[in-house]
Amino acid sequence: MTTLQLENIVKRYKNHTVLDNLSLDVKDGETLVLFGPSGAGKTVLLRLVAGVIDPEEGRILIGGADMTDVDAEHRGIGMAFQNFALFPHMDAFENIATPLEAKRSSADAIKAGVHRVAKLLKIDHVLTHQPKALSNGQKQRTALARALAGSPPLLLLDDPLRNVDAKLRFEMRLELPRVLAAQGATVVYVTQDYKEAMALGDRIAVISDGRIRQIGTPEDIYNAPADIDIARLFGDPTINLLDVTPNAEADGVSVLLSDVRIALPGIPANAAGKACVLGLRPETLRFVPAGTPGAIPVTVEAETPLNEKTVTLALTVRSREILVSRPAGTPGPASGSAHIAVDGANAFLFDKETGALIARHGSHTGTQGEAA
Amino acid sequence: MSGAGLQIKGVDKFYGPVDYGVHAVKKLSMTIEKGEIIALLGSSGCGKTSTLRMIAGFEAVSRGQISLAGREVHTFAPVKRNVAMAFEGYSLYPPLTVRENIAFALKASRLPQNVVDEKVAYIAKLLEIEDILGRYPSSISGGQQQRASLGRALIRDADLHLLDEPMGQLEPQLRAVLRGRIKHYIKEKGLTAILVTHDQTEANALADRIAVMEGGVLQQFDTPQMIKERPANLFTGTFVGEPPMNVFDATVTVGADTAVFGLNEGVRLEYAVSDFSPAVLSELGNRKKVSLGIRPYAVRRAEGGVPAKVSVSQWLGDQTHIAADFAGGTMVLVEHDRVRLGLGDTIALKLDPHSLHVFDGETGVAVSHGPELA
Repeated sequence: MTTLQLENIVKRYKNHTVLDNLSLDVKDGETLVLFGPSGAGKTVLLRLVAGVIDPEEGRILIGGADMTDVDAEHRGIGMAFQNFALFPHMDAFENIATPLEAKRSSADAIKAGVHRVAKLLKIDHVLTHQPKALSNGQKQRTALARALAGSPPLLLLDDPLRNVDAKLRFEMRLELPRVLAAQGATVVYVTQDYKEAMALGDRIAVISDGRIRQIGTPEDIYNAPADIDIARLFGDPTINLLDVTPNAEADGVSVLLSDVRIALPGIPANAAGKACVLGLRPETLRFVPAGTPGAIPVTVEAETPLNEKTVTLALTVRSREILVSRPAGTPGPASGSAHIAVDGANAFLFDKETGALIARHGSHTGTQGEAA
Repeated sequence: MSGAGLQIKGVDKFYGPVDYGVHAVKKLSMTIEKGEIIALLGSSGCGKTSTLRMIAGFEAVSRGQISLAGREVHTFAPVKRNVAMAFEGYSLYPPLTVRENIAFALKASRLPQNVVDEKVAYIAKLLEIEDILGRYPSSISGGQQQRASLGRALIRDADLHLLDEPMGQLEPQLRAVLRGRIKHYIKEKGLTAILVTHDQTEANALADRIAVMEGGVLQQFDTPQMIKERPANLFTGTFVGEPPMNVFDATVTVGADTAVFGLNEGVRLEYAVSDFSPAVLSELGNRKKVSLGIRPYAVRRAEGGVPAKVSVSQWLGDQTHIAADFAGGTMVLVEHDRVRLGLGDTIALKLDPHSLHVFDGETGVAVSHGPELA
């Protein structure tokens, strides 16, 4: 294990600033996920840490030592990429052994090292296979095993599950934490899949346009997204976003949905009258019987089941679209008129102009995700 | 009623000589009602694309018949079949703008210009491509091209809409709402649609019925719910559903009072004989080896269950996925609440008899679902 610190990193290609004064602290033994759209600068960041490219400005410290000018092979880093990048003329054993060979380990140590990681990744039965004889899943496991073989204190994984199918991706997502824990490395993991980010990250750094937009635990980010863009990136189905202009109330503000008033406790009164966006996570909305106090009338447009959830597209009386998600098998309307309940304490309010989350007063923190 | 939809009768597809070439589609028969949304689901090489191409007319049938809206169409040229298509490779016309591409589909209908404009505006709003209507295909993203191609197909009035991997490129943030809108649109217009996909999530979300194909053979053709609750075999059982069904090899012993499944590492699952119908007990009694399946959401944590050690617990915002070491393999559970479990925690797992799927150990064909015969 080790630590990684990036201090005020600037990286430019010609006139284009890819990383803009970026600083990041990765703790000892932590798995930090770099999450963001393609072109955000995630891979460039990883390559800078690896030492494949150099920053224009800033420092890179590994285990407290300045590595900015140290060659890639002396940084003590293991890497795996989305395209596997196995050596085609070597069998799986030889591929996995390369970092151990580079360290000039003894033949016995190499054998023991390869078998240790091969067992961990469940590929000990295909070690004599050439890459072309391996399935996609086995190739990807071999590439991971190679990254782990030298027991590097710092492991960089660049979207390693990108090119495997959904089932394998799911399987590996469940398996990786155990593999990484056994390895005891500090990990920087790049992905564009929010589920992978939440499942694997001790913390997630949301990166776009070369800057870190928010960094925190999965809870921090899911329950208090710093802005609308981040709120949209986490969650499936995507968060509902509705333009609203809040009204002042004795405690906070309220908004109207299908002409029904929804109180948003704890929102500062100065949000009243401002152009805002109401954020409602689909799983926090519930279908309720007509006549339930505060129930919002809607019309059901379509029901689309989604991985043990049932997603309903509904329209408010003002024809605004709302997605509602509930556990599969629980009752709900498939068509026609219906009513939904919105718990204002679980709603987000964003400033429409800046996109920023409008924070609540301390005592009114929502209970996103904890809701039954 | 069925005459008005699509009928595929005993269709074979050989690449190369009939009976000797590569047998891509084997004796396929299915009836699709007018107004239905069907998904042809399978992995690459399963025969779904060959089937699609035979329906569209890009590929000749080797044997059998295809009729659409009461007409035998399998000998017709593609344009004579009255089928609207959105294909992955069936790209937009590069010299035309997105608007012209979509409107072009209405050319044959000779509608007045204002009606065409209205229809294009409507479909563009639905697919969120209003602001790119004036752009050329080469200047828009893959996801936008896919939406434009969908628009061009959906705007048409046709006897059948064939949509090949219609949403594979779509931006994830748009997917849920577009699925809802497209399903609503197809239903409201009473269109008949076949979507061809490898993605079981897409199939489940949109289709009234799913046709699961593998090795050129139709494995099961039923509603998403029935495929989940009563998979015909181990293939459909594990292919449809995310996370996938848990499967364990087991031996069965049926006694006077109990039916016992013996799993690896000495795990014994004991049920009262009254949990199963006599027919199921007799089928189980005839088998030494079976595959025992249970869906992740059906596994319960309950006192007195089989102890299992947690290897991971992953919270995804609205679900928790838990994996635990069980009978020499991994048991995956899905819960809809936040569950706080750590690596190495022990949980007790209950597999209720009504949630068990039993498959033949040799053939993988379903033997029973819960208390009933498959």
